[in-house]
Amino acid sequence: MIQLQNITKYYPVGLGRNFILKDIDLTINEGEFVSIMGPSGSGKSTLLHIMGLLEEPSEGQYLFEGERVDKMNEKKRTQLHRGSIGFVFQAYHLIDELTVYENIETPLLYKNVSASERKSRVADVLDRFNIVAKKDLFPNQLSGGQQQLVGIARAIVAEPRVILADEPTGNLHSDQAKSIMELFKELNEKDKITIVQVTHSDVNATYGNRIIQLRDGHIRS
Amino acid sequence: MLISYLKIAWRNLLKQKVFALVNLVGMGAALCAVLLLSLTAYKEWSFDRFHEKRNHIYQIVNEKVQNGNTSTMVTNSVAEPLAAAVKAEIPGVKHTSYITGFNLPVRVGANVYYLHTQFANRDFFNMFSFPLVKGIGDEALRELNQVVITEATAAKLFSKATDAVGKSIEINVRGQWQPYIVGGIAENIPQNSSIRFDLVARVESDPYYNEVKGKWDVSTNPLLVELEPGVSQASFEKQLNALKPRYYAKAIQEGMTDFTFKTISLNDFRLDEHSYFFGGVNKYYPWLMVILSALIISIACINFINLSVARSLGRSAEIGLRKSLGAFNGQVFLQFWMESFLLCVLALVLGSILAVFILPFYNRQFSQHIQWEMLQDVKVIAGIIIIFFLITLLAGGFPAWKISRQHILTMLKGKMNINKGNYVRNSLIVVQFVVAVILFSCTAIIWQQLNYIRNKPLGYEVNTIASIPLDNATPAVLDNMKQRLSQFPDVKSVSAGMNNFGIGSDGNSGNWIIGFSFHGQMLTTKFQRVDYNYAGTMGMQMVEGRDFSKEFGTDSSAILINETMAKQLRVKEPLGTMIDLGPQGNLKVVGVIRDYHFESLRRKIDPLIIGLAKPNDLGYLFVNVRTSNPTATLDKIARLWKEVNPLAENSPTYLNDNMRRMYEDEHRFSNMLLSGAGLAIIITCMGLFAVTVLATAQRKKEISIRKVLGASVSSIVTLLTRDFLVLVLIAIVIAAPLSWYFMQKWLQHFEFHVSVPWWIFIVVGAIAILIAVVTISLQSIKAALSNPVKSLNRE
Ligand SMILES: Nc1ncnc2c1ncn2[C@@H]1O[C@H](COP(=O)(O)OP(=O)(O)OP(=O)(O)O)[C@@H](O)[C@H]1O
Ligand SMILES: [Mg+2]
Repeated sequence: MIQLQNITKYYPVGLGRNFILKDIDLTINEGEFVSIMGPSGSGKSTLLHIMGLLEEPSEGQYLFEGERVDKMNEKKRTQLHRGSIGFVFQAYHLIDELTVYENIETPLLYKNVSASERKSRVADVLDRFNIVAKKDLFPNQLSGGQQQLVGIARAIVAEPRVILADEPTGNLHSDQAKSIMELFKELNEKDKITIVQVTHSDVNATYGNRIIQLRDGHIRS
Repeated sequence: MLISYLKIAWRNLLKQKVFALVNLVGMGAALCAVLLLSLTAYKEWSFDRFHEKRNHIYQIVNEKVQNGNTSTMVTNSVAEPLAAAVKAEIPGVKHTSYITGFNLPVRVGANVYYLHTQFANRDFFNMFSFPLVKGIGDEALRELNQVVITEATAAKLFSKATDAVGKSIEINVRGQWQPYIVGGIAENIPQNSSIRFDLVARVESDPYYNEVKGKWDVSTNPLLVELEPGVSQASFEKQLNALKPRYYAKAIQEGMTDFTFKTISLNDFRLDEHSYFFGGVNKYYPWLMVILSALIISIACINFINLSVARSLGRSAEIGLRKSLGAFNGQVFLQFWMESFLLCVLALVLGSILAVFILPFYNRQFSQHIQWEMLQDVKVIAGIIIIFFLITLLAGGFPAWKISRQHILTMLKGKMNINKGNYVRNSLIVVQFVVAVILFSCTAIIWQQLNYIRNKPLGYEVNTIASIPLDNATPAVLDNMKQRLSQFPDVKSVSAGMNNFGIGSDGNSGNWIIGFSFHGQMLTTKFQRVDYNYAGTMGMQMVEGRDFSKEFGTDSSAILINETMAKQLRVKEPLGTMIDLGPQGNLKVVGVIRDYHFESLRRKIDPLIIGLAKPNDLGYLFVNVRTSNPTATLDKIARLWKEVNPLAENSPTYLNDNMRRMYEDEHRFSNMLLSGAGLAIIITCMGLFAVTVLATAQRKKEISIRKVLGASVSSIVTLLTRDFLVLVLIAIVIAAPLSWYFMQKWLQHFEFHVSVPWWIFIVVGAIAILIAVVTISLQSIKAALSNPVKSLNRE
């Protein structure tokens, strides 16, 4: 599903280069639940952004479902964002001016899903996450855990193949974190969604079926 | 999707009320101004566009070169036989018609009405698109005694308007009642027609017409021609001038000033000051109104841009998120543009409501006749929509474009950097202040010039002299009036003249130019005829010699000249000099008058010769009064005049009022500019206020730290204010030379004008700085006084 070959990322610093990632080779198969770990500044987020096509690698090849995507044009990349890749962020990133319902609906609007289908899909997700009662509230009326729940609901409503999550529980209590992790596990097992998460917590990492250790831009498995 | 955008836009507006309000009010006021100003300009430009043959109709004018110098003079009237000559000898001339307008008394039974009468030829209705509701085209004017009246006039004159055709009326032409018959009824004249009439009569029915018929040496009436569609203006002018040597050679030899024929297209009748139908509006003023609206709207747009950009900083996460959810740049652009669009639509609604409310005031204040019926024109509506769209694109499009091009990641991290060093914002603020300062200093200078005009001694008295337009009073009436006035205790003296001073209640002004040869040189001069005791009554100074006086009994062969004329004669002793004025006779100079401004201060003082008038020549009675209550005295004179001449239409006015009327155009324009400048300043300050709110919010943490470190309130206010004041100073430096240049140009319209005073820029600059400081301080003092712990804790 995700194939990274010799992925390198650097930023120019003065006359030289500051390498963040160096010669990363990594394959993630369909249906895997991978946790990326490593010390702060080791390049975890950068790697995830590259996988999510939010950032371009400086060197190397990236194949998504067998297709070269590292030098893809804006339009095609956006299509992948609409259909195949869902994001969950540490800082929730909900749109403050939209209600829970409307936040979840937004990706479907970009996908041009018909109104009736939007309605039923959002209703399904709300139901599944037990947040039907909250659907007309605005993000600032929710707790952190609830907000992240909405964030995940929004990530899966477009039925992506992969969910990329950057410290999804970073701002949450451990109880809240646990339920989020269980949700991920369920999505992975029942819905066969490939999940890649970045986490600092060993406990959370064990929910996945593979752990990748990142150190100074290199993978230590 | 669109609904979702609108929803977000609406909620954002509610959330950020200050910005929504600043944008809404600023944009609304600007749109209101733009709506009114551009409708005014459009109205001027739309004049006479309803004539089907407007591209083929011209007025023939004469351009005369004066006294060998470079100034030219355009006169409207041409000789009577020219029409026939043009039609017979120039191929491609379809129709011709003379035209002269008067306000004349019209009698139906015992009732007398004043009607605006045009004397024209039979072809008139073939040339112009004034449809007849009764009667067919030129048939309605087939006979010399037939007239065409408008529907409104028919309704006024006759109980049953539709039966008017065939009815008899009498018109008082040159003091005599003449019988006419209504031959047709025309639709009412459209608002935007330069040619206006209540009644059209045949020019040949004017008794005076027979006196000038066939004469090449007197020019009496303006002439209009219609050319065949293929004939160009240039080729017609060329052939017209080719006729000149044949017909005018003799007249020119005998003293007529040499001239060149020119033509003015019907399309320019309204705005060309040389046309007979000139509407009194300088042809640049509509353009200036468009420029003024563009300036005002651009100031509002700049507020919009600065505020949108600043606001979007707080929304970078949302934008990044949307992109990660699969929004194209175009969609983000669309969303942000839609938000601006929504705001602009609200502003347009607000502006239109505002416009509806202030329209009556606007029309009154600026003597305009804007009506909302103009909006029924599809072109106007389309124009408004297109311009509005462009405005939203400018105001909302630029920030939206900037925002949509940001990289996803920087947005998600909240590190959006749209406004590096605030260059864009700062330059836009400078532009705003440049505009505001230019508008302000121009207004100040125009105002000074008008003040100068008001106070400049003109060489005669203006406050104590009442002028009575004689309309078509007979000499007997005139004598009677003079007789009665002399018994009036308030009246010092009475005289009369052909020409008025300034513009009186009849709205007329005109002059007579003649040429003559003197000691071998060809000279041109303005010529007037006046009554006895003229210079004395008008309070003019004699350089030498004497005024016209009955005591001499020989003054019908005497003339007065002004100093400029005296200089041009180049004789040692002007008094007693004989001047041969051709048809006016060989006349002797009996007095030299100190130069006075018989025309507007826009012109320099031309040479002038004044002859004694026959009673029939007089157009205006001048009454010099001695009174402590000028208004009451004027009322008394008016009542007396109405009693002596019941047919009088125009009432007496003091010359100072006439002077004011002469510069009304400038007054109106300076008022408009002043209002525009005021609006521009207000909108600019609203924007500046909102921008300071944002800028201080961004620097809240810095301010708090500085305060904790012991900075005083005043030092913080200075810190916050300094950046913006620099911008205002830059703007003043840019604006001063530009305003100086524009005003120098404008003042050129006046032969007599103030010089642009350098201190005006200091005053205007100081006012601009003061206003800016007050605006900024409103916010920065509040920020400086706030409790530092609060804002630090919130971080
Ligand atoms: N735009 C940039 N320019 C230069 N260096 C950058 C830029 N963005 C990130 N870096 C550097 O890349 C390195 C990796 O950053 P990254 O965010 O991937 O680390 P991380 O592993 O996610 O750390 P954390 O656990 O703290 O989130 C950091 O040292 C950071 O300083
Ligand atoms: Mg990270």
